[in-house]
Amino acid sequence: MSNVALSGISKWFPCKLDAPLHVLSDIGFEAQDGRILAIIGASGCGKSTLLNIIAGLTPADQGHVAIGGVPAGGDAVVPLSVMFQEDRLLPWRSAARNVGFGLEAAPITVTEKTRRIRDALDMVGLSDFAEAFPHELSGGMRSRVALARSLATRPEVLLMDEPFSKLDPGTRTQIHGEVLRIAAAHAVTVIFVTHDVEEAVVLADRIVVLQPRPGTIREVVEIDLPRPRDVLTLKVTEAVRSLRALL
Amino acid sequence: MTRTNHTSAMHVPDPQRRAIQARRTASVAALKQSIFNRVMLAALVVVLWYLASRNVPAFVLPSPERVAATWIRLVSLPSFWEDLTVTLSRVLAGFALAAVVGSVLGLIMGFDRRIGDFLEPVVIVINTVSSVIWAIFALIWFGLSEGTTIFVVFMTSMPLILTNVWKGTQQVDPGLVELARTFRMSRSKILLKIYLPTIMPEFFSGARLAFGFGARVVLIAETLGSTSGIGYRLRQAADLVQTDQVFAWTITLVALMLTVEFAVLKPIEARLFVWRRLAAP
Repeated sequence: MSNVALSGISKWFPCKLDAPLHVLSDIGFEAQDGRILAIIGASGCGKSTLLNIIAGLTPADQGHVAIGGVPAGGDAVVPLSVMFQEDRLLPWRSAARNVGFGLEAAPITVTEKTRRIRDALDMVGLSDFAEAFPHELSGGMRSRVALARSLATRPEVLLMDEPFSKLDPGTRTQIHGEVLRIAAAHAVTVIFVTHDVEEAVVLADRIVVLQPRPGTIREVVEIDLPRPRDVLTLKVTEAVRSLRALL
Repeated sequence: MTRTNHTSAMHVPDPQRRAIQARRTASVAALKQSIFNRVMLAALVVVLWYLASRNVPAFVLPSPERVAATWIRLVSLPSFWEDLTVTLSRVLAGFALAAVVGSVLGLIMGFDRRIGDFLEPVVIVINTVSSVIWAIFALIWFGLSEGTTIFVVFMTSMPLILTNVWKGTQQVDPGLVELARTFRMSRSKILLKIYLPTIMPEFFSGARLAFGFGARVVLIAETLGSTSGIGYRLRQAADLVQTDQVFAWTITLVALMLTVEFAVLKPIEARLFVWRRLAAP
């Protein structure tokens, strides 16, 4: 169980001819332990860059990220998984071996690895497709394999960069339900980026609204509605409307 | 009767399965056609060869039956198998060395761009040097030894494998490398688990090319700098104007290369790239 705390994050991208592009300016918020936080904003406001900074893929120029109270990038590492916009499955590996990919970074016994893979595939309901290759699976199934791969490492923090944006709405709602269930069951802290306000309201406990040029926090909104949240209920539509007004 | 049963069993038309079935029937027919074509072509060549050989002396063009008789005599000699083994082991030794060195260098050059840029001219230069020049250098450096032939095979096939592996590394999906980094995978593991599988198809086409070139240049090396092997026998046959011997060896070599292609390379490829073959529509 780990919270994620950001303070004073700023980032510039170097430009060849112009002055460096200011992408993020003084971003600070906290994602609470075992809760779901959404980052929304128009395209080009640095949402993905911010997620990459939390993931440790991109260094911040200023500010700090602390995961579970520990400064990120140090030796004491909190298990963290990232889901990208694309499923990024290895085409030459079966579903089961794709799920096991993240486990191969650190030493692990074969029995433990097999068990984790089986559990993760069970969780996303793909036990029968363990030996299938990615190209044999539908888009929704591929997303589930990617989700299982993220969960197999038993992360305390799960970062998602619009991971379901390419799925059809029905499949998407279904996977949302699964993410909520799994996150609650394993007390995973989830941070996800989206441009879809409805998705943010349905899933998140807290929503960080960014505004562009440079990316700054417009507002942090708490969503305190009972779950499951139906997009058609009045309270949800109200929340969506008030958030849209901020964008 | 059986036909109606068959259709009623699949009362829901299954266009996908039918399409697969149709494609299979078509491919069997195409295979039969192509085997027939090949046999006809071979027969045509033998007939033309026979007709041509009737009007010229045997030392210019021996007849097919004369070559067949020579071949049968050649195969029954114990020295035939010795020469074949010697030449093959030279090709394999040079090729194996080339595969290891070429793959490792190609991977490193692809993995680290600076090293790749730095070494690129060396690869280009080595690629332009003729195999005969390597053979002459080898003769000067190693004399009449195993080293000479193996060196020539190595210098000819190594750049081919290296170039292909290096090209293969450019197809590595940066998204997958980024994914590996989120799992905190080490650089060596990224090399092993993402780069290596990605370059396998390119490695294979390079290796096929390299083996073919190696098997051909080994003869040049043997005619110039060896006292055993097929190349040496070919030079002997040429010195004694035994044209039928040259033909018999040529047929042996062609048969050998075809065997390697269809009995070794194709099955390995089919096994390794199951995921790829299925991915094709």
